[in-house]
Amino acid sequence: MNPLRKSPLHDVIARQQPEWGMVNAMPTALQFDQGDSQRSATLGIADLSCLWRHGLKGPRSVEWLETQGIAVPAVNCWAPLADGGLIARLGKTEFMLEDGLMGNTARHIQSLLADRPDGVYPVLRQDAAFALTGAALQQLLRQTCSFNFKTLDAASRPLVLTTMVGVPVTILPQATSDGMLYRLWCDGTYGEYLWRTLLDIALELDGGAIGLNHLILEGKSQ
Amino acid sequence: MRLTAIPGEWIDRSTEVEFQFEGNTYRGYRGDTISSALWCAEVRLLGRSFKYHRPRGILSLANHDINALMQAGQRLNVRADVEPLAAQQQLTSVNTFGGLQADSGRWLNHLAKFLPVGFYYKAFHTKALFPLWERLFRRLTGLGKLDFDTPHLRTPKDYDFCDVLVIGAGASGLNAALAAADAGAEVVIVDENARAGGSAAYQRGGKADSYTQINALLNSVVKHPRIRLFTSTVAAAYYADHWIPLVDEQKMTKMRAGSVIVATGVFEQPAVFHNNDLPGVMLASAAQRLIYRYAVQPMQSAVVLTANADGYRAALDLAAQGVNVAALIDMRSDHQQVELAAAVQACGINIFHAHCILEAEATADGNGVAAAIICPFDADGNADAASTMRIPCDGIVMSVGWAPTANLLYQAGTRMRFADDVQQFVPENLPEGVFACGRVNGVYDTVHKLMDGARAGRDAAAYLGYGSAGNAVTIVETESPSHAWPVVAHPKGKNFIDFDEDLQLKDFENAVQEGFDNIELLKRYTTVGMGPSQGKHSNMNALRILARLTGKSPGQVGTTTARPFFHPVPLSHLAGRGFSPERLTPLHHQHVQLGAVFMPAGVWQRPEYYAQAGLTRTECIRGEVACVRNQVGIIDVGTLGKIEIYGPDAVEFLERVYISRYANLKVGMTRYAIMCDESGVIIDDGVVARLGEQHFYFTTTTSGAAPIYRELTRLNTLWQLDCGLVNLTGAMAAVNLAGPKAAEVLAPLTELDLSLAEFPYMGIREASVAGIPARLMRVGFVGELGYEIHVPAAYADALWQALWQSGQPQGLRAFGVEAQRLLRLEKGHIIIGQDTDGLTTPLQANLNWALKMDKAFFIGQRSLQIVAQQALQQKLTGFVLDAGYNGTVPQECHLIIEQGDIAGRITSIAWSPSLQRHIGLAFVRPDLAVENGAIAIRLSDGSMVEARIHPTPFYDPKNIRQQHPAQELAA
Repeated sequence: MNPLRKSPLHDVIARQQPEWGMVNAMPTALQFDQGDSQRSATLGIADLSCLWRHGLKGPRSVEWLETQGIAVPAVNCWAPLADGGLIARLGKTEFMLEDGLMGNTARHIQSLLADRPDGVYPVLRQDAAFALTGAALQQLLRQTCSFNFKTLDAASRPLVLTTMVGVPVTILPQATSDGMLYRLWCDGTYGEYLWRTLLDIALELDGGAIGLNHLILEGKSQ
Repeated sequence: MRLTAIPGEWIDRSTEVEFQFEGNTYRGYRGDTISSALWCAEVRLLGRSFKYHRPRGILSLANHDINALMQAGQRLNVRADVEPLAAQQQLTSVNTFGGLQADSGRWLNHLAKFLPVGFYYKAFHTKALFPLWERLFRRLTGLGKLDFDTPHLRTPKDYDFCDVLVIGAGASGLNAALAAADAGAEVVIVDENARAGGSAAYQRGGKADSYTQINALLNSVVKHPRIRLFTSTVAAAYYADHWIPLVDEQKMTKMRAGSVIVATGVFEQPAVFHNNDLPGVMLASAAQRLIYRYAVQPMQSAVVLTANADGYRAALDLAAQGVNVAALIDMRSDHQQVELAAAVQACGINIFHAHCILEAEATADGNGVAAAIICPFDADGNADAASTMRIPCDGIVMSVGWAPTANLLYQAGTRMRFADDVQQFVPENLPEGVFACGRVNGVYDTVHKLMDGARAGRDAAAYLGYGSAGNAVTIVETESPSHAWPVVAHPKGKNFIDFDEDLQLKDFENAVQEGFDNIELLKRYTTVGMGPSQGKHSNMNALRILARLTGKSPGQVGTTTARPFFHPVPLSHLAGRGFSPERLTPLHHQHVQLGAVFMPAGVWQRPEYYAQAGLTRTECIRGEVACVRNQVGIIDVGTLGKIEIYGPDAVEFLERVYISRYANLKVGMTRYAIMCDESGVIIDDGVVARLGEQHFYFTTTTSGAAPIYRELTRLNTLWQLDCGLVNLTGAMAAVNLAGPKAAEVLAPLTELDLSLAEFPYMGIREASVAGIPARLMRVGFVGELGYEIHVPAAYADALWQALWQSGQPQGLRAFGVEAQRLLRLEKGHIIIGQDTDGLTTPLQANLNWALKMDKAFFIGQRSLQIVAQQALQQKLTGFVLDAGYNGTVPQECHLIIEQGDIAGRITSIAWSPSLQRHIGLAFVRPDLAVENGAIAIRLSDGSMVEARIHPTPFYDPKNIRQQHPAQELAA
């Protein structure tokens, strides 16, 4: 296999020899073993770097997005995209769009930005993207991040820009039918370190790595 | 002896625990501490003192019995007074030579007169004897034996949050927690003890009332939905914004509270008299803890020394549990606790007013108490040693005063005052959001403590917007719980102030006489309060002694600085799971597969070189260099900072932050870029590429990536220009394909025209390479034809593999940082931070050609205008050693000497395979920087090496090799 795109977490995940699948031309861990479901319920960590995402910023980014028919969330909030995926507002004039498995809004926006609209600047996103699940999620967060996530009301779709184990991260909670799921993005070059560190702690809490099948393909979160 | 079951005892009588101490087997119950189990087994000798190796037993049973530290396998300095008993534990006492009983160190007790205060300082005063004393002290000192094979425990650290944190779960703390929670606040209450309740659970005065009351209060707390109670948890320090590390057996929790209530109570203080350290002499609270927590009879026959109501209550507790209280010695001539005194007398206990204990008489073996020698004691604190009385007993119980556990309050910035009415320091001005209640606040009466706690709880909640603050109430104690001078002089000394450091009364008198007459100096000279208990039982008495010796009040003497942690925290908790962020480029795995030896570069891991079987490091590096010079090499430069800037004012922004000119930079071209700070000092360099009229892409150094982007963002906010910065450092991967065959490797992978005319040196193009969208820059850092190829990080691996495959016929090899350093040195290219320092300007670094002083403005311009008016002190210059030189090679930072004076220093030096000699860069005095001029370099051993000034570049001085693509040469 000689993939064109590679997740920032690919090599560290490959050591666990998961079952791979190709998503958006990126090899992605679909399942690690039969224990994925149990770990998902206890404390699961999944790699979602394969999802297509793109960013934009600039003084006219808000009005430009609205022109494209995208509902702009409040600062430090996120909103779902019409065809799946989400838009996260990282600042007054900075955004990240991420497609779900089926949608292509982020990809479409990326192509429009190639025309360099006035006052709107494209932001290449090559993040390491994580999903965190399970009952012991708050324990993991408490060991790794000084932000008090319990103060967040998931219904208002907040997002937090903070640091976790010394790495700048963007985190947002999502309420799913299976309970809370936290999405997390960081600079891809920190990805392996963050994965290893979170996994170490997750293992102590009887959790561990889970594949994409247990997040999206079963329709549990997206 | 174990007492019959007592309500509220902590032991589980259904579970026996067997353990060993000093080779002997004992049994206790689950819930016992080591000390309580041993005391129950009639073991009185629990340890030896630090300096004189005197026998010691239980003193406080409150986590500062420093003379009962024990070793349990790899765990050293286990605090036996609070450590829960564990099955099959094998314990030994620390600080002994040959075991506890036969400790040969005990003879030091007889040499005490030769070990005066400040002995360490005096011993080391004679330089010639320093080694002797050092060896001796190293042998004699130290507590416990460290096993270097002890595993590294990955102890977790937690963050936690609450509205109100209450520290101390005694009567006032529990009531404060209830009041705050009732007002609507989320409350956490912590207590270092295994069970909550505080002193009310064991200072019972022979009755069950206080225990019943505190138990009811505790039940209310436990049931409250907004209160979390953590026991066996020490609030070990106070940091800004109410950040408190909570330490329990398993981990440290960093608690962020909205407000903090300090209800930490007080430490009971010992009385000072001859032999006050014998096993069997203990604080009253220790005796009461033995009784009510562990159901252990402290002694059979006791003499109680007191100066407050607590001593009377302790006498009643002892009597209630069958201890014969031979006498109660009250240091005061009168008091206001009439009912308590009557109750004591009703038990048949003789009370001696205005008396003190002059000395404790030791048993024949010296390991226990045989009697108390008492005598009259006047109001001025003088003992009448001529009128003594001997009272046989096997234990002495002391209750003469208290010191507030105010360490956290001090650390929080509380201003304290000495209150004469209670003879202790109390808070005068508390910081915002910090509250105090109970005995640490100078409130002792139980009813008053409950009132004070409720008031603090309401105030702490109101501070956060829950409910309203309580009305301030003035609480006045009927009498002082502490004696102003619980100190009895004795001609034989051994009346100890500090049990950690074996400091006696005379040590303080001598220290003050020698001039150490303020509290900070006294502390350092005598080492009072510097032992493991950190002065918890010694600082207050030391302060009183200093006050009396200097004619001041305790308030005037003041206290020493309280620093975190006020209570020892296990290193396993501090050094447990550490977080050291590390960045890896997306090509890291490729480097691993190629055998890279990594080196840290800031937070990055970069290949230093690629190891090859059978070759040394130097051979590997020189092989990589040769490959770049003769064929083609590839290096991962993804760690460079990569920033994009868009907008109408993008060019103006770059003009301001870099010293060169970019307004005239053509689209599709790049230019070297130097950044200075306000003082004109070089802080970073890179390459600026113009991708459009309003669109630039530029690089920074690896180490500068984060701080430079941060600074540029700040400047953009400050200047309010119409442009936007995008940090692509992590999002873009980059490799440099360099060498005479670089174009041959690249050409098959792209449709880009690589001819010199279409893609000139210093050009930038956006094109597809192996199907990957890429930016290609024709740069020449290593002095060969080179293409710096930047692609989105996800494609990096695919790009590398495509180039690797394409390059095999041309002999492509990966090269690391060390080879790159040598290659660039041959070209005379500088590395910021190595060939510059915190004072280097572009003028000194020979970068005048890049400096455009005629620009309207750039950062550092004004400073450089001033610097340019002055003569240069040093100049960065190339130099070479003689071609045949085979002596010791100078190193970076070796000095250049001219007529005995420093005239410069080396910044870079290496063997150049191309020139077949050592080459380097150095700062030298401008008058010496003359081509072919001789300079003298001083080696570490003082010998001198001659070198000659040489122009740069050393290699390919006309820059021909980086200009011509190989394919054109071939054509």
